Formats: sequence, C-alpha cells, structure tokens
Amino acid sequence: MIETIVNADHVLLRLEHVDKVFQMGQLAVKALSDVSLTIRQGEFLVMTGPSGSGKSTILNIVGGLDSVTAGEVWFRQRRMTAFTSSELTRYRRDTVGFIFQFYNLVPNLSAEENVMVSTELSSDPMDVVEALQLVGLDERRHHFPSQLSGGEQQRVAIARALAKNPALLLCDEPTGALDFSTGKRVLRMLVDLNRQLGKTIVLITHNSAIAPIADRVVRLRSGQVVEIHDNPEPVPPEEITW
Amino acid sequence: MSVLDRKLRRDMMSSWVLLLAITSIITVGVAEYVAFGSAYANLTEAKRRYYAQCRMADFSIDLKKVPTAELAPVAELPGVAAVRSRIRFNATVALEGVPRPLNGMVLSLPDRREPVIDDIVLRSGGYFTDRRQNEVIVNDRFARTHNLQPGDWIHLVLNNRRQELFVVGTAVSSEFVYLLGPGAIIPDPEHYGVFYIKQTYAEDVFDFDGAANQLLGLLAPELRERPGGVLQRAERMLSPYGVFITTPLVDQASNKYLSQEIDGLRMFAVFMPTIFLTVAALVLNVLLSRLAEQQRTVVGTLKAIGYSDPQVFFHFLKFALAIGILGGLLGCVLGYYLAALMNIAYRGTFEFPELNNHFYLGLHSTGMLISVLCAVLGSIHGTRAVLKLRPAEAMRPKPPRQGGAVLLEHVGWFWTRLSSGWRMVLRSIVRSRMRTAAGVFAAAMGAAVLVAGFMMIEATVYLIDFQFRWIQRSDIELTLKDERGIDALAEAARLPGVDRAEPTLNVACTFINGLHRKKGGITGLTHDARLTVPHDRAARPIRIPSAGLVMSRKLAEILHLKRGDTVLVQTIKGLRRTYRVPVVEIADGYLGTAVYADINYLSRLIGEELAVSGVQLATDRKAKHTAALWRELKRLPALEAVNSRADMIESINETLIKHMNIFIGMIVIFAGVIFFGSILNASLVSLAERTRELATLRVLGYGPWQIGSLMLRESLIVTLIGTVLGMPIGYMLTVGMARMYDSEMFRFPVVSSPGTYIWTIMLAVAFALVAHLVVQRTIHRMDWLEALQAKE
Ligand SMILES: Nc1ncnc2c1ncn2[C@@H]1O[C@H](COP(=O)(O)OP(=O)(O)OP(=O)(O)O)[C@@H](O)[C@H]1O
Ligand SMILES: [Mg+2]
Repeated sequence: MIETIVNADHVLLRLEHVDKVFQMGQLAVKALSDVSLTIRQGEFLVMTGPSGSGKSTILNIVGGLDSVTAGEVWFRQRRMTAFTSSELTRYRRDTVGFIFQFYNLVPNLSAEENVMVSTELSSDPMDVVEALQLVGLDERRHHFPSQLSGGEQQRVAIARALAKNPALLLCDEPTGALDFSTGKRVLRMLVDLNRQLGKTIVLITHNSAIAPIADRVVRLRSGQVVEIHDNPEPVPPEEITW
Repeated sequence: MSVLDRKLRRDMMSSWVLLLAITSIITVGVAEYVAFGSAYANLTEAKRRYYAQCRMADFSIDLKKVPTAELAPVAELPGVAAVRSRIRFNATVALEGVPRPLNGMVLSLPDRREPVIDDIVLRSGGYFTDRRQNEVIVNDRFARTHNLQPGDWIHLVLNNRRQELFVVGTAVSSEFVYLLGPGAIIPDPEHYGVFYIKQTYAEDVFDFDGAANQLLGLLAPELRERPGGVLQRAERMLSPYGVFITTPLVDQASNKYLSQEIDGLRMFAVFMPTIFLTVAALVLNVLLSRLAEQQRTVVGTLKAIGYSDPQVFFHFLKFALAIGILGGLLGCVLGYYLAALMNIAYRGTFEFPELNNHFYLGLHSTGMLISVLCAVLGSIHGTRAVLKLRPAEAMRPKPPRQGGAVLLEHVGWFWTRLSSGWRMVLRSIVRSRMRTAAGVFAAAMGAAVLVAGFMMIEATVYLIDFQFRWIQRSDIELTLKDERGIDALAEAARLPGVDRAEPTLNVACTFINGLHRKKGGITGLTHDARLTVPHDRAARPIRIPSAGLVMSRKLAEILHLKRGDTVLVQTIKGLRRTYRVPVVEIADGYLGTAVYADINYLSRLIGEELAVSGVQLATDRKAKHTAALWRELKRLPALEAVNSRADMIESINETLIKHMNIFIGMIVIFAGVIFFGSILNASLVSLAERTRELATLRVLGYGPWQIGSLMLRESLIVTLIGTVLGMPIGYMLTVGMARMYDSEMFRFPVVSSPGTYIWTIMLAVAFALVAHLVVQRTIHRMDWLEALQAKE
C-alpha cells in the first residue's frame, strides 16, 4: 500500500518496495517483502507486530546497519541504498541514535564510559553526566554493566544514544525489559525528546498498549506493512497502562 | 586516553597470561634476530678491521726451501700486489713448571718493526730490540695461559737444538684468530702457541741463509674473489722449490673457521627468528580470532554507533601492536644482552685485539619492525572475519557452528568404544581446525628446535668419540723433525712407560684424477696398526691393505674417486715421481682428509727402505710413568710435535662441553617458550570458547580436575602430534646444517640416538604439563554460575 505523499521537505526517510531475504545455507528467510514506508521529520512513529514480523529488520535498515535485498531507501534527498560504507558510517555517526533491544553495552566499560563511546565520536555531544542525569543514573555512572540491572542497562543505552544528539532515534523495544513504572519513565523521556527537541523517533514494540503515545502507528505482519494508522491526538505516556 | 583505549587496556589486563605467553615467543624471536645479527655484525666488523690492521695475506705458499732472491718474479705477476717471505717451522716448547713438552709454530718477522703482510698486534711488551738475537714474541693467549711475561725466558727446540729465548712481548695476529694446532679440533692455548722470532735469527738457527719456506702475498682487489689462475702460475714458478701447498685466504684455516661461524650466524639470524615469529603470528591469530569473536556484539555496536571499519580495526590492531611493540622492545633488550654473552664466548674462542658488542640501531629497528609486522599479520587474519560483518549481523549471536559429525565418528567400532570425555576431546580438536593447526605447528617447531639442538650435541660427542676413541687410539703421538729409519721406532719403544709403539710416515703429495687435483698427504701405518684405525661408514675398522690407499670419503668426493678407482700420486719431497695407485677402501671421518697406506708400501713409493716420520705410543697411564715419559720427551730434540690424547680430550671437555651445556640450556628454554606459549594459548582460548559447555558439565557433577583432564588430553594430543611431526623436521635441519658446515677440515656427523627423540617427547610433555598448571588454576577460579547465566 502506498501512503499519501506528504510535503517532501518533511520526509526524513523513505523505504520503497524493500525486500529483505536472509540466506541461511540452503534456506532463504524472507524477513521483509515489498515494504514501503515514510518516516517524517520530527514524528514519533511506533512499529508494532508479532515476533518475527520484521520490526528489527526495518529498524536495522533504516539505521544503516543492514542492507536491503531489493528496493530503495532514501534519506532526505539521498539514496541510502547507494551509500558507500564510509557514507553509511557517517550517517550512523551523525544522524542516528540506536537503542538496542539487548542494550549492547560494552561489558568492561563503566556506565559513564559507555556513554563516552558515543560522545567521543560526535561533533556536538551532550555532556555525559547530563545524559546520565536524563535517565536518572548519574549516581551510578562508575558502575559496570554487570553491576546494573537490565532496566538500568537499558537506560545507559538510552543515554548513550541521546548523548551524541542525533536527529533520529531508533529504539528497539526500549521498554521490553523494564517494569511498568520504569518503562513509563523511559517513554516520557522519549516523548519529551520528541516534543521539546524535535527528535524523530521510531520505536518498536510488540506491546500495542504503547501505540497511543505515537503520532503514527505502523503494523507489520510476516514482513509486510499491514496498517498505518495516524494518531492526531497522542496520549501522554502517563495515561496508558499495560 | 580514549574510552576505547581504556577498554583495550582492560581487555589486555584480563588476559595478561595469554599476552605474556605470546609476547615471550615474540621476544625470543626478536632476541634471536638481534643477538645473532649483532654477533654477526660484531664479528664481521672485528674481522674486517683486524684483517686490514694486520694486512692479512690473500694467499700463502708453503715450500721446502726457496732463496728469497727467487721470489721477485712472483711479486711481479700481474694481480699480485705484494709478497713477503718468512721462515715457518714447528717446534716443541719447554716451559718451567709444565711437565710435558708443548707444541708451537715458529714464524720469522723482520728484525726491525715495519708493516708487513700478516703483521702482529702487540698486546704487551714491545717489538724485538737490538740487545740480543734470541728474542721472541709469544702469542698472547698462550702467554696468558702460562703466565708468561716480557722478561721471561722460554725454551724452544729449533732445528734439533734447544734454544733459550727471551720474551720481549706478546701479540696477536689476524692469521690466528682461530688457532688450531695440528690434529686439534678446537683451539688449545695451553698446549699450542705461536712464537715470532727475528728474521736473521731464524735464518741462522734453521740454516736458511737468504732463504724462506713460506710465501705470503696480497692480491689486487679484483682477483681476491677468484685467485685460482694467478696462484696456479705462482705455484708453477715455484715448483722447483718443492711447493707443499698453496692456500688462498678462503682455505686458510683460521679464516675458514671464522668465516664459517659468521655465515652460520647470518643463517641463524634469519632462520631462528622466522620459526619463532611464525609461531607467534599463528598463536596470535588464534587469540585474536577468539577475541574478535567474543566481542562480536561490541564490534557491531561500535559500528552501529558510527565507528568506521578502520577505527574498529585499528582498535583490535592496537592489541596486536601492543604485543608487537612490547615483544620487540623486550626482544631488543634481551637480544642485546645475548649478543654480549655470545661476545664473551667468542672472546674465548677467537682471538681478536678487540671484540666489542655494539648497539646496531638499524638491526634493532628492523627487529622492532619485524616484531610489529608479525603481530599485525597475526591479527589481521584473526579479526578480519568479524570486522567485515555488517553491524546488524555482528550484533546477532554467531550462528551455531556446523556441529556435524567429525570424521572419526564414522569409524564406528572406534567411536563407540570411546568414553564421552574422549569424544568431547576429539571433537574439540577436529572442530577448531585453526587452533589445532597452530598448536601442531608450534609443537612441531619446538620439537624441531629440540631435536636439532640435541643432534648437534650428539654430533659433537660422536665426533670426539669417533676421532679419539676409534681412529686415534694412541696415548701420545710424536712427530719427528726429519724422516728416520726403523731405529727411531726402537728408540721410542724404549721410552719409559711405553707399552706399544707404532711407526707412522707422512708423505706430502698431490693427488690427481683427470682434471681434479688436490694437495694433501698420505699417512703410512703398519698393516696391523692398532693405534690409528681408519673406519668405514658403518664404523667398522678398515685393515690397511698391503698395496693401495685407504682414502677419506671427503677427499674421494673432491677428486671424484670411488672404491676401486686409481689415482695419480705425485710426491713433493724426495724423488718427485708420479705413481698410479689404486684406491682400495674409502674411510669415513669428520676431521681433515686423511689418506692411509701401508708404511712399507709408502716408503717404497718415495724410494726408501722404511722411513718413519712419527711414532704413536700406547703408554702405561700411571702417574709416575707418565711423569718419567714427559721428562724424557722434554729432553729429546728431534721432535717437532708431541700430542697427548688425554690433554686433547681434556681441553675439548673444558671448552666445548661447557659451551655445549649453555647451548642446551638455551635451546631448551627457547623451545620451552614455544611449547608453553602455544599450549597455554590454545587451552585458555579453548576454555573461553567452551565456557558454557564446560559449565554445563560442572552442573552435571564434573569436578574441576575432570574438566582440566579434558583440556589436558586435548593439549597433549595436539602437542604429541606436533612433536612427532617436528622430529623429522629437526632431523632435516641437522642434515642441512651438516651440509652447510661441510668442509675439508671439518664435517659434522648426522647421528640421532633414541635418546634425542625420547628427551624431546619428555620435554614436550613436561612443557604441556607446566602450561596445564596455569590452565588448571584458571579452571579452579572460574565462576561457573555466571558463565551459565551470561548470554553468549
Ligand atoms: N540474521 C538472520 N538470519 C536469518 N533470519 C533472520 C535473521 N534476522 C532475522 N531473521 C528472520 O527475519 C524475520 C524477521 O526478524 P526480526 O528480527 O526483524 O523480527 P522482529 O519483528 O524484530 O521480532 P521480535 O519481536 O522477536 O524482535 C524473522 O523470521 C527472523 O527469524
Ligand atoms: Mg526484534
């Protein structure tokens, strides 16, 4: 299905007829088939769908971590599918902040150092302590990942993504491992970033209860976009429940 | 320091044991490079300076006697830059307080100091004075061994007369950097010296007025490499004066040994480090593959955050660079001190006016560079696989290894009989192919180094045995000044304490077989000689045939002769006739190029009834008889040289065996570093890779020792396979080395007893066990619960 075209200036990313096939020996797994999708500048987009429906795969492609098998991806006016590996690196460095489903902290670096891993790359980074304050972990900044709970680790990962001040935040199940209230705090933070700082946010969740906080909701099933739903009046995270 | 560098530092600290193991292999490799390279440069430079300082002769021609006036045409030969003649004789030396007569070479030098070919460098005292004729300059090492000083008197038997000489100085000369007495295999400064006397005095005592018996010459630079033509012409010119032998510099004994040592160092400087650094690169490859694999997710994350491939690669490279730089630095320092040690050893073997260990910036830099290069090469391969993954791929756990059946599992009857432990061990060995290959290679190299080292020792022991127990069996060998009749034998037999006396006759001659010619000599022995017994290849004694020659294999090769061929023999002394003589037997031996014949047969060849030029004695070895015999011999003027087997063996034991123990020690330590480093690496990497599997075993009730036994079995199998494969390599190395050192003077036997191989295996196992101690400690300290909970 083709969406209604919005003002091209507001389009940050566009996927056109994207296929993704994983080759595992003899077996080919089609993770995405004919996905077309637009991500608008400054919007809060939520992607939902059952496990294995291709959410992470889309996020990886959008974040420049993986290639497509067929189709095109556009970043603003530029064709991302034609990016060289150094252009991709630059794109990841300057534009994207990634919050991984499994945190992916560097085990032998402290919380603070894990954040520094990304600030050291950025031309316009946030203060490391400030970033940790945002996620409420400035007190724990000298602790190593093994000394932090899953939720705390996820918050460090968020701080790491925020700290380099990216225009686009890609969050893969940021609340999946968190308890209800912590999850809500993380969501509040993301909403604030979106509303106050104008960050574009793509958030994956299989928890459809979260969907109402988004400007738009994309539903996936078996590697296909089955529904795109505009949400003119997003609900504040505090008001949702699961 | 950037955060990534902090991470790196922590990575390194958490695997310091492994780093140490690999670094030590690199260190040894670089140290060998620097040590052998420095020793090479030290010796080459010392040799060059010394040869220039002494105006080292490019050739020498030994003759019976030539009027010096007749030498002018030789000096004018095109290509001959300068010549000098001198008088050269062997003499026995009697020293106060030394029971036995000693041997020496007497050489004439101009009465007044002037620069000459084969000059001396004074070490103490001064040159000849006008105060007396009978002054002597003694070679420094002999003087020091016997505590002789300028102002002392010594006695030399010169031309059958006992002469008293006044020591004016001690000196060294470039012709005797490696001073070997006749029949000796190592320098023996206690029993052999060089004595320089005034030219006029020499002419006087040897009845050599205006004559000489040795010509020394310098060649034009362009002829030094191929002096053959000009020397042939010189020899032809001088042939009326009885040319014994013409020796170009390359064949000059001292130069040859020194050059051989230098060449050997150059080869070792390339060869040994190559072995060590190759092992190090392989071991590093295994470690870094593991490290990169282990940090797959981190690699993916870093890339996702925006680190470029080169940045991530450089991060891992730094790990290798740190090892390379550390190993290089330690290697340079260790190499410098090893070179200093070698220098001390060389000062004991070679006599230079000055032999110093220098610091060679170029060499150290190259060593450093090689070390870093080796580390980088070792790491590139290991990390590439992970680095080239797209970040999304890298962040996903590695797809499970194809856990298919290993080949062995298809051998049903075998596999079903194995315990589950052995199955795990074998699977692990077969599946981690790279690690197993690296381990086998390292063990093979370690074993090759051990086998080659042990075989060197065996060769030396065998050679000494062969020469001094099988061939030369006389206790004392007398060389007579002139040829005598049978009466000389009777005289010698009457000396105190002599059980048996056998005559020998040495005849200098030229062997000719078609285009191949060679100057040499024939030794006449009685047909039932028991004190010199040539042996064949299978170490069986050869009986001296009543006619014909027993020729050493080396000479037969040079002349392209085989058993049953005939050879032309042209005698140099006496009636200079040519005979065609059959080669009846080929004898083996490792020193020189001896040729034997029946003494009666040989006497007839030179036209005499029975000539005797030496006597070999078997003596009663009781102290009082020996003392009496020495006393008597010291008094006999007609002797040119006296050699005692016991003294020779003792001097060999003192120097050679001492050096050898140091050598063994080094070889074992070096090989140990290879074994230890590679085994430790393989085991710890395997342990890290299989933490989960092993943790599961712990939960099932396996104890730490049982887990350890799995690891130990694995490393023992790999080590033993490598060791067994390395043995023939070591053998082949020895064969190669024997080829390289093969010369007319000296060859070294390729012998290997079971002991060599047993020791190699025992050491390999010992190293594996020691390495396992560290592994076992790691196993005991491991936090299994955490290992089980951690996600891969
Ligand atoms: N590297 C890979 N190799 C093979 N198949 C893959 C790979 N990555 C993903 N897949 C497959 O592609 C499909 C989509 O995977 P994806 O990770 O995008 O799902 P998801 O929607 O994120 O699921 P979840 O909610 O469980 O995270 C799945 O069927 C998955 O098995
Ligand atoms: Mg997912």
